[in-house]
Amino acid sequence: MPFVAPLALAGLLFVPVVLAMYLLKLRRDQAVVPSTLLWQRLVADVEANAPWQRLRRSLLLLLQLLLVIVLALLAARPFTERPAGLAGDIVVVIDTSASMQATDVTPDRLGAAKAAVLEALKDLPSGGRVSVIAAGRTAKVVANGTDDLGLVKQAIASITATSDAGSIGDALRLASALAARSADAEILVATDAAVATLPTGTLEAPVRVLRVGRDGGNLAIVALAVRSASSGLSHSAFISVANLGLSMATRRVELYADGVLREARTLTLDPQRRTDVSIDDVDDPLHPASVVEVRLTASEPDPAATDGSAAAPDYLAVDDHAWAVVPPAALRRVLLVGAGDPYLETALTYLPDTELYGIKPADYGPATHPEKFDLIIFEGWLPAALPAQPILAIAPPATSPLGTVTGTLTNPGIGRLDQSDPLLRYVDLSTVHIGEAQKIDLPAWARNVIPGPGGAPLLYAGQIAGRPVAVLTFLPRKSDLPLQVAFPVLLANLAGELLGGSATPADAVAPGTPVTLAIPAGALGVRVERPDGSADELLAPVAGAASVTFARTDLLGIYRVSPIADPSASPSPSGSAGATASAAPTPTPAGAAGPSSSAPAPTFRPADPSAPTLFAVDLLDVDESNIAPGDPAKLTRLGKPAASANPSAGTGSGGTTGTNAAKEPAARDELWIPIVLIALLVLTAEWLVYERDTVSRLRRHLVARIRGGGPA
Amino acid sequence: MTLQPDPDLEPLAHAPAPEVPPRPGPSAGTGAYLPSDLDPTVFDEGFLRQLQRLGVLMKQPVRGGLKGGRRSVKRGQSVEFADYRDYALGDDLRQLDWNVFARLEKLFVKLFVEEEDVTITFLLDASPSMAFGRPEKLLFAKRAAAALGYIALAGEDRVVVTALTGRSARRQGGLRGSGRVFRLLGNLSSIRPAEGPTDLVASVRHAAAMLSGRGVIVLLSDLLDPGADRVIRELAATGSELIILHVLSPEELDPQLEGDLRLVDAETGEGVDVTVDLAAIDAYKARLAAWQEGFADLAAKRRASYVPVPSDLPLADLVFAELRRRRVVG
Repeated sequence: MPFVAPLALAGLLFVPVVLAMYLLKLRRDQAVVPSTLLWQRLVADVEANAPWQRLRRSLLLLLQLLLVIVLALLAARPFTERPAGLAGDIVVVIDTSASMQATDVTPDRLGAAKAAVLEALKDLPSGGRVSVIAAGRTAKVVANGTDDLGLVKQAIASITATSDAGSIGDALRLASALAARSADAEILVATDAAVATLPTGTLEAPVRVLRVGRDGGNLAIVALAVRSASSGLSHSAFISVANLGLSMATRRVELYADGVLREARTLTLDPQRRTDVSIDDVDDPLHPASVVEVRLTASEPDPAATDGSAAAPDYLAVDDHAWAVVPPAALRRVLLVGAGDPYLETALTYLPDTELYGIKPADYGPATHPEKFDLIIFEGWLPAALPAQPILAIAPPATSPLGTVTGTLTNPGIGRLDQSDPLLRYVDLSTVHIGEAQKIDLPAWARNVIPGPGGAPLLYAGQIAGRPVAVLTFLPRKSDLPLQVAFPVLLANLAGELLGGSATPADAVAPGTPVTLAIPAGALGVRVERPDGSADELLAPVAGAASVTFARTDLLGIYRVSPIADPSASPSPSGSAGATASAAPTPTPAGAAGPSSSAPAPTFRPADPSAPTLFAVDLLDVDESNIAPGDPAKLTRLGKPAASANPSAGTGSGGTTGTNAAKEPAARDELWIPIVLIALLVLTAEWLVYERDTVSRLRRHLVARIRGGGPA
Repeated sequence: MTLQPDPDLEPLAHAPAPEVPPRPGPSAGTGAYLPSDLDPTVFDEGFLRQLQRLGVLMKQPVRGGLKGGRRSVKRGQSVEFADYRDYALGDDLRQLDWNVFARLEKLFVKLFVEEEDVTITFLLDASPSMAFGRPEKLLFAKRAAAALGYIALAGEDRVVVTALTGRSARRQGGLRGSGRVFRLLGNLSSIRPAEGPTDLVASVRHAAAMLSGRGVIVLLSDLLDPGADRVIRELAATGSELIILHVLSPEELDPQLEGDLRLVDAETGEGVDVTVDLAAIDAYKARLAAWQEGFADLAAKRRASYVPVPSDLPLADLVFAELRRRRVVG
């Protein structure tokens, strides 16, 4: 019998040690008795003063010798060999996407996948190496090329299912790269094969698929949106529920607004169909809700229903919930102070949830009540005293607290852009030409969003004493920017940052997707509270940074973002000046800016900058909710053919020589389980023999109680 | 009333037993002095009254010394008719049975049973082994001797206490009359365990040599001596009625030993290596039972009374239950 650790057989040296223990005379405790008269004939011991005694037959000795032998065998790890069924280098890919949470198999698909992998790894040849990849939205290597199966089991056990759609393609490409390290490699994919989009190309090793799952019965919320109702006073919710199973289903859709049940409807869902539901007035106009939650629950059993639709299976629970953040109902007021640029005014009218007011520079003053606006845009002009509101300055004519004008730039080119800047999101400036721009030194408080020649900024943004400020150094009409799609998008991004409306994503975010969170004015960073109550604090990487990226969006639900206040921040000295103004701006018809004498609507309520903002993370992925197990052959075909990729572990066909056959890798089955059982049996017997007095007393006590019918 | 020890008097364990204390006896119903190591609570007034109703039973009359309350083999003056004999000159005419003379016209003299006292000798084994047990075997033996001695004194018998120590016996003077009960208790209290090994056979022989006539011998011992059989035989051969109170402690009856031990003999100091397990305990108990049965058989053959008693047996149970059941007292 071969052994993994034959040196451990040296433990048999303990056999003579045990024998010596029995040969050595016992050191006895003394006990004084009245007389040894009655004990004399009971003694069958050895001669006094002899250090050794004659070895007598003892069951305890035999059991202890047997135990030593069994333990030595156990330590030596005997094994048997059989032909290995796997290659020598295995890359295990375990799908952790949301569909692996389906419970059509016990305990769930991920659990079944782990068990299938562990079972398959029993065919690993001795010395084989294993890498394990968890295939979520991003592929993660949890074990890399180890031959320690204990570590591999730990790594596999540590894998948990995610709520995202997953990306098996990325994981397979990573597995291919790992497998390329060895000529004798194989990729083992444990998945439900419910893959909507297959990766392209060929992998560097054969692929074997361990498919889990047997049923595709699932009901899912695949869309949820909350918009302002047509009345403008409340909100409506749009819900789409998909029955991805093959049988008719009846379910109840419950809508909660801020945790209060507002609507419940029972839906009859046709198989393989989507059903759309629109629910109006999900909140009270006087008490607008902030969060809407939709749950898909089992409907009340209908005694008249005989089609079993209420019992239609729904094996995936993660897509039975969805959350949405109710968009703010209040309109933002934007004041444009300038000579009037039709391009600019037109683009500004497209901003959502905003009211645009226009005024000439000559009319600007305290009577304008700049404090009642959320954003003030100065086009080619700046007042002597800047208001406390967020400012977008366009081509400031002279030096001001917003920057020092040092001259003009003619036909400035656009420098290298940082596309990760939120102001440049979806903005393509590659074909933009600028005729003339103000040459302004970049202030210390600002970041250069669109650099020009020599680093001179064409657009910069930042905060002055906690007030968001952006400066566009050129008039739009002196460029071809207004003629391009980038112009309204850039304005929307600017308005979003300056108004604070883009602090959080407006629409639901897919699980696992990084989110850019704007840092409010005067804050050191943001604090994000996750749905499970845990919180992350994200501080600005550099002073004055406008946004941070939050990546821990793996949980479904509502995330609350609140600013981390900067204790050293102080209010802007210019803020009080605007607050004393008494003039009211004038509502401006869309597309036309001009002075007006009418008062603004009295319902205007400035947004609280310290109030938490919310965003939702939802699965809402019909492809991931479609949990019907796929065809494993589609994944298998991505790999190399087994014969060419793994000649040494092949099936013996082709040119396998006798030498190669002799070196064919073998899998080991260690015999520790029967040996441990034997050891336990021997240990138990040894204990029983050692404690036979106690056992006998217990037996007598029980017998006495049974015979006596009471306590002995 | 409970008899309370007098703090003014020194216990007799360290001084010679005093003469009759200048106090009324227990029957007087007032307080009385008792030696300190005999638990006074067991000798309260009620207990003593109960003891007074008992007497030491004898299987056959024996010749005594002084007039007493026990039937003697001799004819004498008592109210119990024994026999007739022909009248002879010189006989007391008051003893003639005139009714018989009227019927038979012959003179007969009525003979009555003589009542004499009997000497009851308590042989207390004071070997070191008797100092063991909880409660101590010697203390139990002294209490039992005190109870039986009081019964004997109340029955107008003569009581002798002899301690068996070493190879000899230490006899204390005979006591007679219930007024000597305190002296008896003092004598018992002065007995202390001997130091060193005791040869029970030799000491019993010594004690037997000091016996005066036949009477009753009460042996109180644990009999943990190889020659215990010979002790019984030789005491039975004295012609006295032999009562054996075999006192063993609970620890000897049910040893609470376990493991690999070296048992050291308290008298000889010799050690015995033994592995005490349940089987060994069972074997010990079987051997103990056979040992006691051997004594019982031997005593039956010698017309002796053998009473095995554990040292934790309450004294009242011993006297009023165990000894009455075995017709030692009645």
